[in-house]
Amino acid sequence: MEINGWDLAAAFAKAVTYSATFGAAGAVFFLVYCSSLLRDQQRARIRRLMGILVGIGGAASILRILLLAGSMSGEIAGMFDGSFAGMILSAGEGRATGVRIVGLALLLSAFSAKRSFRGAAVVGAIAASTSFAWVGHIHGMTPNTAATLLLCLHLWCAAFWLGALLPLLVIAKGGNAAQTAAAAARFGKLALRVVAVLLAAGVSLLLMLIGNAAQFWASDYGRMMAIKLLAVAALLGVAAWNKLLLTPRLLKGDARAAQLFRRSLLAEMGFGALILLTTAAFTTLAGPP
Amino acid sequence: MLKNALLALAACGIVVAGPCMAHAKLQSSTPANNAHLSEAPQTLTLNFSEAAKLAVLKLVRDGKEISVPLDKSAKAGQTFTLSLPPLSPGNYTVQWAAVAADDGHVTKGSFAFLIAS
Repeated sequence: MEINGWDLAAAFAKAVTYSATFGAAGAVFFLVYCSSLLRDQQRARIRRLMGILVGIGGAASILRILLLAGSMSGEIAGMFDGSFAGMILSAGEGRATGVRIVGLALLLSAFSAKRSFRGAAVVGAIAASTSFAWVGHIHGMTPNTAATLLLCLHLWCAAFWLGALLPLLVIAKGGNAAQTAAAAARFGKLALRVVAVLLAAGVSLLLMLIGNAAQFWASDYGRMMAIKLLAVAALLGVAAWNKLLLTPRLLKGDARAAQLFRRSLLAEMGFGALILLTTAAFTTLAGPP
Repeated sequence: MLKNALLALAACGIVVAGPCMAHAKLQSSTPANNAHLSEAPQTLTLNFSEAAKLAVLKLVRDGKEISVPLDKSAKAGQTFTLSLPPLSPGNYTVQWAAVAADDGHVTKGSFAFLIAS
């Protein structure tokens, strides 16, 4: 596998796109699901952060296409060569980027308190978070309908989980212990099911991608997938500690638990970032063997 | 209900889905990599593992690029044959980049051949 700076930059731009899109979409899911637990000030702060993530997600999506175009020729001029960008856009990336940008734009409806606008924001969150399924390795499968549906579920669940971490941190930093405990408990209740679907869909997709197991795990794609799975295991460990030990202590009003809860959210964000970075790496730099 | 639907979808996908193709890889070329030729080739052929669009083709000799016409608007295909200008003896390197038609991934590579004097 030959990798140069262009490839690494394109992979990094994809990781940023994943993080910002999931963060913005997940913030909308959180605003809807935990709305009654939030104070106006917290709701406004989460919306502001969501707005920033929408901007980053849109900009990183466009930058990634320019970087891929540049990587073809290996020259900066290639970034602005319409024929290179056209080839990338026509091969599926254009559809995925278009759906993502429209979805991200719809997310901004969450700034309105009107119920109909909230519905538009949820539709935008689903479109943006699943936009990555419009292009990629599964489109090399025949048929690919089941795989595409599983990937959409996987992406939606990932956005719900990872995107809730920032809003939870906003509450944990600014709210009182009782409010933090209530939000953690409500989120944790649904997150358990969402994570189960996320894992089931992810494992199913992995089984579809693995042809020869020995060949798969010996490949660059397999090795990067193994790093991702280790990070997923670590994230699940922190999340389980959070739900099974910290949340009950938070509900009892344990002040030390509130501090540990904030740290656990930061740890989950760190492992989440590693997962998205490795996913961006193996979907950009390598292909299934 | 949701669990059963998901399991059915996953089982269906795992059983029915064909092998997932990797990125468009260069399977063979004419002239082949490291070929020693006694005569200058008139065409250059690249054969890929799956349908792709050929975006870049650079033919380089002693650091100097030799122009090879490439139709970037051509439809995606697995085999590309390009006419070469008259080539003099020497070491040549071919650099290429392609975009896979089905998954949109960019692949790049290079190979070399020698025309003996």
